[in-house]
Amino acid sequence: MAAFEFKLPDVGEGIHEGEVVKLYVKEGDSIEEFDTFAEIQTDKAVVEIPAPVSGTVKELRAKEGEIAIVGSVIAVFEVEGEAGEASEEAEVKEEGQPVQEEGKQAAVGTAPTMDAGKRKNVLAMPSVRKLARDLGVDITQIAGTGKHGRITAEDVHAFKTGGQVATQTAVQADHQPTPNKAKEVVIEKTKIEIEGTEERIPLRGIRRTISKRMVESKHTAPHVTIMDEVDATELIALRKWGKDLAAERDTKLTYLPFIMKAVIAGLREFPTLNASIDDENEEIILKHYYHMGLAAATDNGLMVPVIKDADRKSIFDLADEITDKATRARQMKLDPSELKGSTFTITNIGSFGGMFFTPIINYPEVAILGVGTIKEKPVAVNGEVVIRPQMFVSLSFDHRLIDGDVAARFLSRVKQLLENPKLLMMEMR
Amino acid sequence: MVVGDFAKEVDVLVVGAGPGGYVAAIRAAQLGRSVAIVDKDELGGVCLNRGCIPSKAIISAADRYEHMKDSAHMGLELNGEVNINMPQLISWKDSVVKKLTSGVKSLLKGNKIEIISGEVYFSHPNTVRVSTENASQTYQFNDCIIATGARPAELPILPFDGKRVLSSTEALNLQEVPKRLIVVGGGYIGLELGTAFAKLGTQVTILEGTKSLLPGTDAALTRMVTRKLKKLGVTVVTDALVQGGEVNGDEVTVNAEVKGEVKSFTGDYCLVSVGRKPNTNDIGLEDIGIELDERGFIKIDNQCRTNMEHIYAIGDCAGGALLAHKASYEGKVAAEAMCGHNSVIDYQAMPYVIFSDPEIAYTGLTEAEAKEEGYTPVVSRFAFGANGRALSLGNADGYAQIVADQETKRILGAQIVGPEASSLISEIVLAIEMGANAEDIALTIHAHPTLPETIMEAAEGVLGHAIHMVNK
Repeated sequence: MAAFEFKLPDVGEGIHEGEVVKLYVKEGDSIEEFDTFAEIQTDKAVVEIPAPVSGTVKELRAKEGEIAIVGSVIAVFEVEGEAGEASEEAEVKEEGQPVQEEGKQAAVGTAPTMDAGKRKNVLAMPSVRKLARDLGVDITQIAGTGKHGRITAEDVHAFKTGGQVATQTAVQADHQPTPNKAKEVVIEKTKIEIEGTEERIPLRGIRRTISKRMVESKHTAPHVTIMDEVDATELIALRKWGKDLAAERDTKLTYLPFIMKAVIAGLREFPTLNASIDDENEEIILKHYYHMGLAAATDNGLMVPVIKDADRKSIFDLADEITDKATRARQMKLDPSELKGSTFTITNIGSFGGMFFTPIINYPEVAILGVGTIKEKPVAVNGEVVIRPQMFVSLSFDHRLIDGDVAARFLSRVKQLLENPKLLMMEMR
Repeated sequence: MVVGDFAKEVDVLVVGAGPGGYVAAIRAAQLGRSVAIVDKDELGGVCLNRGCIPSKAIISAADRYEHMKDSAHMGLELNGEVNINMPQLISWKDSVVKKLTSGVKSLLKGNKIEIISGEVYFSHPNTVRVSTENASQTYQFNDCIIATGARPAELPILPFDGKRVLSSTEALNLQEVPKRLIVVGGGYIGLELGTAFAKLGTQVTILEGTKSLLPGTDAALTRMVTRKLKKLGVTVVTDALVQGGEVNGDEVTVNAEVKGEVKSFTGDYCLVSVGRKPNTNDIGLEDIGIELDERGFIKIDNQCRTNMEHIYAIGDCAGGALLAHKASYEGKVAAEAMCGHNSVIDYQAMPYVIFSDPEIAYTGLTEAEAKEEGYTPVVSRFAFGANGRALSLGNADGYAQIVADQETKRILGAQIVGPEASSLISEIVLAIEMGANAEDIALTIHAHPTLPETIMEAAEGVLGHAIHMVNK
């Protein structure tokens, strides 16, 4: 028998860590090669990781809910055969982050910040240690940014909001209240002070990613939202006309491909909306490609599949791709690469009702278009009140890069194109 | 439960009103709980009534007596005798204690805590019976904090008789200055009281079973104390294994085997101070299923919780260092944890202070311990003899020593022997908790002329540039 160290393989382009959502085995279980070993969530896709060998799980170093780094040992198998030949190198090794392998410590580790012998006392003030407890953060996992690795209150906050990745697994359970007991205390406390019951669900998986991303965006980009109404009379007529044609080729035609085309036309005219800010180098990145992010509601939470090079695809092709990706998003079957690289995002809550809203930018993008419902309402046209189907649009933008006038002109242009969809013909290349 | 005995209901019951219990009770009340505290004796526990405070009062009196007789070199010449009125000394000591215990009482009342007097017996996981001499009442509680403390350990071969063979409790209430006092046990209690009585004129003999006084304390610190004991005429016998003893009228004789030879030591009194035992027996803890360790201390987790979810234990009865300040700290942790806070026992330095002459105080790591933990330590020692305030106090024996990490200069520990060592150690405890390095202390202005300047100098010594000593 020999031990086989299973290192987390590369799970998608450029991704170097993922959250262990589910483990299919426990220590002592035996598993066949290629059977599902674990579900790892990266960015917003869940990837099934197959077992690399047949054998018995001797040691599980990854735990559900924890972040595992690509190349770190997530499990040790006992397999038939000789030692040595079994252990295989991870496909990708993180540069400069040797996998820590002392004792039971290193489930998901990058380089430790202190020598093993010096880990007894955490380098942080008592008030900071208390802050970590209050925020439910294991302070031993935080890499301090202060002198000699001192952990500051800011470090604890940053770690909590996801700005910092776990650096080492905790052995020092002493710094946290004994978990199960602490939880029970909370429940008991509830009985005393709060009427009614509560339920506590661990913040995991997609919901954790969403929460992290939303905070990151709101924290970084000063959001401004402008809103407008679009007379959708022509658009409705055009889509109605195209719908049957589309049905002939099994395409489900929605308004979205038209909106996408109108947005792209607008982006060409106002390139700062299809951009990012590189904070580190203090540069503005203008993107000469148009990858449209599409916010999709799933049972597990919001996901944003990406329609790449949407400017070079026909309305029908876009419709097909939107249907396909939205379906696979709901089934959690998107490849991580299909959830990356968008340059502008459209979020459509129209089918659920609701008019205006203030969407949060899909950071590091700098603008997002929110599309509300279409409904008939009285409007003034040439001095007369008439009933028109109005579509409600909201544009949130990053004021660091985009000024109000630019955003307003962009939205007016999009509105103009949607109100007169024939103009989209003029935009064809 | 007797028929007609209706249980009174309390939300939080704190058992024991020592420095752990009363602090826990107040914190729980501050957090909105309805609290009752029960003790069979006076409020304040051993610390206020039979330990820290009374012993310090007697030590202060003894010091003052010594200074009165011994100040001729300052030009203060004594004409005649200074008389010791021991009953008056004890009653002054009692008045100090009284002030503090009544302070505790008003604090408890101010926090609307119900004070119950009597002995506690746990009859059920949520019920205690509190009995006084002629009454008994059952209380039902939601949560409980056990803070029953510890008591002087008895030597079976030399049992306390309260008259000639004394525990520290009786020794603190002696109505006369003994002519000859045998102290069995050279730990800090025996040493503190032995020194005080020696200063009051008693001929003191300390019998210590190990090879040094203050076992567990840095030998270099203890040496300074041993030197002073010699000056006071105290006989220290180490490696002395007490075999037994007997009381003959006004005398007590203790037999001890010293280096293979049995010797007899006779005194008017014998103080036995050989450690302390937890007050965890005979109160029903085992009956309701509270787990104790093999030495009888209550097992707790890092939130001071026992194996029973709603029962906590703090201070001496929960083991660890038997220190009042540790009990108070744990009291706050337990009360907060009980109220759903995330508090845990999370200190990085525990101060240890001994009111010997000179005083000893230490915290954190010694040089040897630092090496064991994988540090490369650097040690800097500054003598009180080079400190203006210590010299002008006429008390300049000893030194302050800092142990720091060579690489980061982070403060790891300190050992102080000398005047006010017990107060000086606080700065180092704070430094360790803050993760301060020697530079942080060195760059902090310390008032002149004061004793804490020694800490600043020692810190500068760590950096290799102390001003008032030649750096190694």
